[in-house]
Amino acid sequence: MNFALTEGQEFFRKTIADTVDRMIVPKAREIDEKDEFPWELWKDFTGLGYLGLRYPEQDGGMNADKVMCMIFYEEVARGSVGFAQSVIMNILMGTYFLFRFGSDEIQKRCLYPAMKGEKIATMCFTEDQSGSDLGATRTTAVKDGDGWRINGTKMWITNGPICDFCTVLATTDPGKGLKALNFYLVEKGTPGFSTGQVIEKLGCRGTVTGELVFDNVWVPNENLLGSELGKGVVYVGEILDEVRLMTGAMALGVARGAYAEALEFARKRIAFGQPIGKFQLVREKFAEMDMLMNAARLMVYYGAWLLEAGGESRLIAAEAKMYATEVCLKVVDELTRIYGANAFAYEYNPQRYFRDARFLLYGGGTHEVLKDFIGRTIVGKV
Amino acid sequence: MNIIVFLKQVADTEARIFIKSDQNSLEIENKYNMNFFDEFAVEEAIKIKEKSKDAQVTVCTYGPKRAIEALRTAIAMGADKAVLLNSDGLECDDSLTVSKVLAAFAKNEGLDLILCGRQAIDDESASIGGMVAEFLGVPHVSAILSLDVTDGKTARVESEVEGGKERVEVHLPALLTTQKGLNTPRVPLITGVMKAMKAVIPDVDPTILGLPREEIDPSAAGIRVLSYETPQQRPPVKILEGETPAEKVQGLIKALKEQAKVL
Repeated sequence: MNFALTEGQEFFRKTIADTVDRMIVPKAREIDEKDEFPWELWKDFTGLGYLGLRYPEQDGGMNADKVMCMIFYEEVARGSVGFAQSVIMNILMGTYFLFRFGSDEIQKRCLYPAMKGEKIATMCFTEDQSGSDLGATRTTAVKDGDGWRINGTKMWITNGPICDFCTVLATTDPGKGLKALNFYLVEKGTPGFSTGQVIEKLGCRGTVTGELVFDNVWVPNENLLGSELGKGVVYVGEILDEVRLMTGAMALGVARGAYAEALEFARKRIAFGQPIGKFQLVREKFAEMDMLMNAARLMVYYGAWLLEAGGESRLIAAEAKMYATEVCLKVVDELTRIYGANAFAYEYNPQRYFRDARFLLYGGGTHEVLKDFIGRTIVGKV
Repeated sequence: MNIIVFLKQVADTEARIFIKSDQNSLEIENKYNMNFFDEFAVEEAIKIKEKSKDAQVTVCTYGPKRAIEALRTAIAMGADKAVLLNSDGLECDDSLTVSKVLAAFAKNEGLDLILCGRQAIDDESASIGGMVAEFLGVPHVSAILSLDVTDGKTARVESEVEGGKERVEVHLPALLTTQKGLNTPRVPLITGVMKAMKAVIPDVDPTILGLPREEIDPSAAGIRVLSYETPQQRPPVKILEGETPAEKVQGLIKALKEQAKVL
């Protein structure tokens, strides 16, 4: 067994952490308060080239292994989880199907600019009546001449209101559930494609989340992203574990940010003549948080290692997402207790961590759905 | 044009530092970075390289194996080559010894320009630049704020002096030390990070540079740390009691006269 990062991975961790400290951390508060997409930061940060992280070098990417991807997701979320969501959407979910199935022309037009941050990508699953339950997708795609006609509305779309293109999940036959789902590329400016309501969120502010409307949108055949009809769910499966581990890594990042705030406060805040970090009940909180975070870190990175090695990672990915997020919720809660009443004031940072942590409960699968999936897989048919 | 940048890996400003029980050595949390002032030197060297096609930037440090990380950061920023002069088992705290090693390296390498930070933020000795220049017999300007290498033979340099700025012309080769204000060190591009991750950085035994071993042996140190001590804790804030503002002011004047003895 060897749990150490390689020298290269360690250098990458340090470099990305330093980049986040210099570029994102100083703006995190402003991003949250303004709740507007930080265009300037987007331009500066994406200009460094990180959006091609997980794609091959010949496509202009970095060919990073899964452990490095987790390091990146964790560090960026430590800086600002709102900004991280926008960045990661371009890196992973928003571009994957273009990378996997897009024609040369589509890759040139959409994928490569998205890897440079010149175009904003998104992927749309969720609808007002369906999220985890993909089989209930109501957005339809009907064959029409040399292409497809798409109708429906998507909800809770990260980057949606500002996207240049989206990968949309639609059904060719609503009666067939999971077996009739496909992905289609729809670009901004396509007649009938428009943005709807922007959601005002409790946390993860700064990333723009909202509704996308497909009103008789026609796209050519090459925009069908998949080599076989009805295999959309199978294709999602290719990145599902990475998406779940990524959510776990983001949770770790938020937890680390919150933990650092708590530690600084416990060392400085004087009560009854001494720093509060000297009181046993406060120290107990740090022992607990450190233990939980280490356990979550082991799960997330073990999952990433397994995924990279080609092992069976479906259960550990679901468990790591769930556990790391629950740990994150515990850590942000403890931060607000250590900080005392000031944690309740908008003037200080703890409330931001407290709000941000909540959103991680839902992305990558709600914990109720994940637990049911894990239990069902373990017990099997009885 | 050969540009050499000397840099040092120092403890992060947020790293926790403890004095060991022997009182003359430190236990430092494993958080290290490139010295703040050296970042300006690396950035400036890369800027010169970007302007002139034939320039090559070599970064070098004399330090422990872990300092390779700081060299990698310089490569990620855009340096062409890096060399670690491994200080394992050798003296590396005494500035005079360090300067001898660095000067020997520069002499072997061949140089037109040397840049390094004006001081390291750990020992704050601010002496390496001047000493290396002296060993090499080249001109030295410290704490520069602007640099213009006009024709490869001379450089125009601006530095801060008491109450103003000074502009000088320096013949190359020369050694210049850098400070905040010279430039804004860049955040590495991912292409640089990838290059740095793969870079093979030679780990060199400085005794091959031609210096007699006894000159860089720990016993050769002219300076020895006797003890470290933490800054004295500030006394607690005293709140002056008094029924009225006038009474409190009277109490303040009395305290300033009798206790602080500043009036």
